[in-house]
Order: sequence, then C-alpha cells, then structure tokens
Amino acid sequence: MSEAAAVEFQHVSKTFGNRKVLDDVSFKVGDGEALCIMGRSGTGKSTTLKLMIGLLRPDSGKVCIGSEDIAHSEEEDLSRVRRHMGFLFQSAALLDSFTLGDNLALPLRRLDKSKSPAEIEQAVDETLERVGLDLDKAKMPSELSGGMRKRAGLARALVLHPKLLLVDEPSSGLDRITASEIDELLLKVKKEYNATLVIVTHDVRGARRVGDHIAVLDQGCLIGFGTAAELDKSDHEIVRRLIAES
Amino acid sequence: MKKFFAFIGEVSCFGLKALWDALRPPFEWEFFVHEIEEIGWRSLPLVSAAGLALGIVLSLHTRSTLVRFGAEAMIPTLQSASFFNELGPLVTGLLVAGRVGAGIGAGIANMRVTEQIDAIESLSIDSFKMLVVTRIVACILILPMLTVFMDFSSLIGGFVAERFASHISLQLYLDRAFKTVEWANFIPPTLKTSAFGLIIGTVSGFFGYTTDEGSEGVQRAATNSVVLSSLLIILVDVILVKAIFFLFPRDAL
Repeated sequence: MSEAAAVEFQHVSKTFGNRKVLDDVSFKVGDGEALCIMGRSGTGKSTTLKLMIGLLRPDSGKVCIGSEDIAHSEEEDLSRVRRHMGFLFQSAALLDSFTLGDNLALPLRRLDKSKSPAEIEQAVDETLERVGLDLDKAKMPSELSGGMRKRAGLARALVLHPKLLLVDEPSSGLDRITASEIDELLLKVKKEYNATLVIVTHDVRGARRVGDHIAVLDQGCLIGFGTAAELDKSDHEIVRRLIAES
Repeated sequence: MKKFFAFIGEVSCFGLKALWDALRPPFEWEFFVHEIEEIGWRSLPLVSAAGLALGIVLSLHTRSTLVRFGAEAMIPTLQSASFFNELGPLVTGLLVAGRVGAGIGAGIANMRVTEQIDAIESLSIDSFKMLVVTRIVACILILPMLTVFMDFSSLIGGFVAERFASHISLQLYLDRAFKTVEWANFIPPTLKTSAFGLIIGTVSGFFGYTTDEGSEGVQRAATNSVVLSSLLIILVDVILVKAIFFLFPRDAL
C-alpha cells in the first residue's frame, strides 16, 4: 500500500443473504483527495461507505484506513480509528431527542475529555457557524428543513476535525441550489481541514465539481475509476451514461 | 421448537450482555438519569391512577361477598394482602410493559431504521450501552418503586370506597390493613418486580435493537415487546411466587 493512501480497499467482497453486494472491489484514495462513488441504486455504494467506517465487515478482503486494516481489527482499535473519521448519513441521522447543539456536543463530551464545558460550547458554536446554522442551536432535528438537516449532519461529522469524511448522498432530496451549497461546504471542508473525502452521490454535477476522482460501481463491481475526463472516454457504456452531465 | 429455543437463547444472551456491560465503565449516567425520568416519573400517573381505581373496585367486590359472612372488617386486610403480595407487583409489571415496553421497542427500532444507531457507532460511542443498558437498568430499579406507589394508591382507593360504604376512619382502616402485613409479605414481592423490569428492558431492547425491517419493523418491535414482555412477566411471576413461598414458608399459608 502506498504511504499516501488514506483509504484502500483490497479485493473486498460483501454478501447480504444470497445477494453479492460487492465483488472483489479494490481502489485507493490518496490523502487529502476527494473520491465520488457513483452507480445505479442498489449497487453497493452505501455499503462501501459503511465498510470504510466499520459499521459493516467485509466477507473477504482488506479495508485499510491509513495503515490500519479495520476489516479485522478489534472493537477498541476500530473505535480509535473512527475518532479521526466523520460520517454524514443520507438522512443526516441526527439524534431526534437531542437539540442540534447537543447533537454536536455529544462526540466532544465523549471523545475529547480535555475540553471544558465552555470550550465544548465554543467548538459547537464555531462548527454551527461554519455550516450557517449558528442561530438554530436550540432547535430539535424535527424543526429543521431537509437542507438544514444535511448541514447539521455535516456539522456533527466535522466537530471533531476528522481527517477522513464519508458522505452518503449529500444532495438527495434537495433542490439544486441547496445541493450546490452543500457541495460548496464540502469543498471548503476539504480545503480548510485538509481532509480526505469519500462521497456517494447520484449528482453528476456535484461529483464533477467536488471529486478529484470518480469511482463507478455496477452490480457490486468497480467498472470505472479515474478523473471525470478519463471516465468520459471510458469504453464502458454504463460509466459514460452515469457521468454524462445532462 | 428449535427456533423458539434459539430465540430464547438469543434474548437471554442479549440480557446477560447488558447486565455485564452495566458493570463495566464508562457508565452512561446522563442517559441513565434521562431513562429514570422517562420510565419512572412518566409512568407514575398511570400506575397511581390504576392503583387507585383497582383499590376501589377490589373493595367494592370483596364487600358484597364478605358482608354475607359478617366479615367486612376483613376488607382492609384482604386489600393489603392482595396488593402487597400479588396484584400490585403483577399489575405494575403489566402496565409498565404496555407503556414502557412499547416505547423502548419502537424508540430503539426507529433509531435503527433512521440510522441513528449507526451514527452513534460512527462517533465511537457504544450504542448498546447508551441505548439498551441504560434502559434495562432503569427498568430494574424503577419497577419496585412504582410497585410501592401502586400498593399505596390501591390502599387509598380501598379506603375511599370503604369510607363511603361504612364511614370507617383512616386510622382504623390502616390499622386493619397493616395488622397482618410483615416485611416478608412486602419486601420479596416488591423486589421481584426487578425481574419484571429486567424482562421488559431486555425483551423490548432486543426487539428494538435487532430490527431491520424499516417502518414495519418499528411497528412489529413495539407489538412484540408488549406481547412477549407481558407473557414472560406472568410466567416468571408463577416461578417467583413459588420461590418466595419456598424462602418464606409462612407466607404460603
């Protein structure tokens, strides 16, 4: 494995019941790069993200985060690796019995024991301000719009300053303007935090804008990997159709 | 049959893991206190109202029978014996299984299907300890306290009914009610509700935490939690009553 790889999949396969969701998938994402994963629905994109954060374990193969193979690591090691990762879920997955502020404070209180309550409060305020939700700290998740929930989920993923940010369909269910704002935020995060991004998306425009590389999955196989310009010239029809801009 | 025993084994392992995790740091105090409020404090009106109503009803029913034998003076004694020994613990267990069991099952299942549990795990927080262990421990500790409220509410209800029927004084009613009550009649039956709490927390937590069927799974988790918790409470009650009679033979008379 090259030293620059932040994430590396080595011959990863995953099956649910009789259905093979990922079949011998290998790729790597360089440190500080953004990879967008595209593909038709049910081709294993979200599964790929969940494998990266250890919410699922592969049937075979290695999932390396930095130098650590989390596919075979103990729960404690996995927990240590996760502390440097953030995950924005498709539905944002904010804890619905907590206010927005408490959703952000939770990981800080748990994982950063060095911070005083005042410092935690300040970190929450700063992160919310970064995503434009500084006036909504006391709101419950049910009071937020779809776009606000996405930004709130992103804020929670960012509050610990992750080195690797995993994003599941940031633009799903959002209008084009709000989706574009989320893309802007992701680009800002990549630049300011020098973070590696892995984004699962159906939004070609966003993928071309944010992604340094694009991976295309189909029926559990990686059928394309490269820059948008490289994939435009792909021999594979599904790849060309998926990343065509209109 | 094999499937049934496998299921019972799974639920038992789930409960044992929760009890083991409850003893291991870090302790989730913040969430535990929240669950105490949610499970205990918010069940109090239901349990007290049910106790009051049951006390009145039991008093009315027993009066019509005991009057025939000129034994209406036994009503307070019968009332306290019935509630302290059996009705209080069992009815409290069943009421909490209905209110809290459904809430725990549906609540955790909803968190599962909306990826909130995955989100907690992704933050390096043990979702099992945070969501399941806190609820089970809260149920274990709260049930005996709610049972005490049920017992005393029923005595108040019984007194109100008797007061209207025979103008008995509170002092006399309480004297008769507690005349034959010993600690052995009160403590073991009250403490056995901790086992009911363990059942409610474990069964509901299990159905909620292991669901994977979307919104239908949430509904099923809520229903299954109530049905199985209630059934197990009644079955386990039989065993515990027998155990109490074995340990305190005088109560069996």
